Amino acid sequence: MEQRDGNRYRAMFRSLVTRMMLVSLAPLAGIGGANFLLFYQLNRSVVLEQQANFLRYHRESVESFLGSLTAEIGSLAHQYSLEELRSGALDRLYRINQERGGLFEDLGVIGSHGNHIKYVGPYDLTQRNYRQTVWFRHVVEDGYYVSDMFLGFRGVPHFIIAVKRAEGEDFWILRATVNTDYFSRVVDAARLGTTGETFILNQDGHYQIPPRSGGNPLAPAGFPDLSPHQGIKVRELVLEDRAYLCSSVWISRPRWLLVFRQETSDAYAPLWKASLVGILLFLAGGMGATIFSVAAARDQVRRIHRADLEKESLTQRLILAGRTAAVGEMSAGLAHEINNPLATIDTLQTWIRDLASASPIPEEDRREILDSAAKIGQQVARCKVITQGLLKFSRKVEASSEAVDLGELLKDLLLITRSRARVENVTLEADLGELPRVWANPTHLQQIFANLLNNALDATAGKPQARVMLRAREEGDRVLVAVEDNGCGIDPQDLQRIFTPFFTTKPVGKGTGLGLAICHGLVQNMGGEIQVESMVGVGTRFTVILPMARGSQEADGQTQ
Amino acid sequence: MEPIRVLIVDDEEEFATGLAKLLGRRGFLVQVALGARQAMELMESGSFQVALLDVKMPERDGFSLLGELREKAPGMAVILMTGHVSPEEERSGRKVGTFAYLLKPHPIPDLIELLRRAATQGGQGPKPSPGEAT
Repeated sequence: MEQRDGNRYRAMFRSLVTRMMLVSLAPLAGIGGANFLLFYQLNRSVVLEQQANFLRYHRESVESFLGSLTAEIGSLAHQYSLEELRSGALDRLYRINQERGGLFEDLGVIGSHGNHIKYVGPYDLTQRNYRQTVWFRHVVEDGYYVSDMFLGFRGVPHFIIAVKRAEGEDFWILRATVNTDYFSRVVDAARLGTTGETFILNQDGHYQIPPRSGGNPLAPAGFPDLSPHQGIKVRELVLEDRAYLCSSVWISRPRWLLVFRQETSDAYAPLWKASLVGILLFLAGGMGATIFSVAAARDQVRRIHRADLEKESLTQRLILAGRTAAVGEMSAGLAHEINNPLATIDTLQTWIRDLASASPIPEEDRREILDSAAKIGQQVARCKVITQGLLKFSRKVEASSEAVDLGELLKDLLLITRSRARVENVTLEADLGELPRVWANPTHLQQIFANLLNNALDATAGKPQARVMLRAREEGDRVLVAVEDNGCGIDPQDLQRIFTPFFTTKPVGKGTGLGLAICHGLVQNMGGEIQVESMVGVGTRFTVILPMARGSQEADGQTQ
Repeated sequence: MEPIRVLIVDDEEEFATGLAKLLGRRGFLVQVALGARQAMELMESGSFQVALLDVKMPERDGFSLLGELREKAPGMAVILMTGHVSPEEERSGRKVGTFAYLLKPHPIPDLIELLRRAATQGGQGPKPSPGEAT
């Protein structure tokens, strides 16, 4: 019983915790998840935007660097005549260039025939003819040219800026080789995060300026996306087995792809950091909710347990009160059934005295005395039946259920109920037959049937041919006990409320309105049910259906 | 002195016959009826000064019989006796004008004394005495 109760409270506790956690965590998870998603998207777009902006500015600086170089070479070509350049100006310019950090590796003036007219720089290129080179043809056509990186005659990666100057019918070309290191520094000047790096590819996907982290100039970069695109393109790419957030933009002249890449873990680092905080907050919230749920559930279950105990104790007291009331109702009959024999005994003992006062006592009187004494004995036996019945009813207070011999119990109960029936002039009949044992609390069973029988007597008292019938029979694994009367019957309206506590049709002071409510509760506790049928003026039948004791037969054998 | 004529109506046979013997020995003239029908028959055949009437009887209770006895013999004193008395019953018993209303078992000497007084005073109504049930 206690084990079952313990399980019940544990189950209640579990269900409460589950429900409370669901209630508190579901919105937390929902809001948290939605927030996270929104936050993630927002933050990601911020990161992408940031990278795009970064590359936009960087492109400007790279383009303006290249543009300024072209402009500078162009202005030099127009500032000086071929004659001036040949006779010392180019040497002077190269010296100034060297002093300023050596942006140009060398400078050269090439004639329309393709040979150097003048060259200043570390290499010996004076004998080279450039007439058949790509850049030469471009300069002749367009007036100026910025080349891709190439090895050229000197075997070192470089690129050139060349400008055509027309002088009379002829033309010449001012050509400058740009210091790759210098340009590399410009390209790598702007950085972002810890892994952010910039590099330049040509249209064929070869490194022009390799990234800081490695790569050879002119080597194929293996960059997967060389498609021409307008503006800045940002996407996630896997390069050399690493995930990168990559943005790229085509610069116009030369046709190079400026690429910035940052490892995604680095690019999204603030996002991960914020997510981690979010997850930690969620976990903390979840933990808080769990602790709160457990504490609240424990408190609730404790309260319910306490309330149950109080209810249990109240119910016990109510049952006891109902029992006392039942005895009270029967007391009229009991008193009558005892007082009558007492009056007879008194009469007989007076008669004995009368006869015994003569001396000597005639033989006839002596026989009369013995006869009267025997009659006294009969009356005493009559009283004894009543008092024993009463004791059986009031003394037996069992706390738990057991396999009860229902027939025996009902017969004992009839002993005392019969007294009242006799007093009330009600015929009390019983049809019990052979009854199996039922699983019930015997004290409660007595109370249930005492109550029903008392009610039946109340309903029939003072009526002609009043009759109360107690019937019991087996039906499947249950036992049906019916208390029938041919009394006043119950109004259909009242019938619905008949098991409601404090509902009574008896006059004030007569009924508590608790008898049937208690019966109902007791029967339900035993796992049985109680039914009522009634017709006004015809009578009423209460049927109590009780579960048969498990293994009723074995129990029979053991208790004998 | 004329013997006092008493009618005992009680379904408790041993009580009624025992009491009849006692009273007979003390000079009363007693007839016993074990039920209402028998009582009415006896009323037909003889007259009584006092009726000792049990309240709770199977076929018909003392109260309902009381009225009829009254009608038949207005001068007869009636003493009601019962094994159990509820306050309402006692009130209604007094209201119908019985000589006494007694709770069984009532002391025999007292009962005899009451019967004597009832016989002399007739159906004049109750005169409380120390032994009476209240």
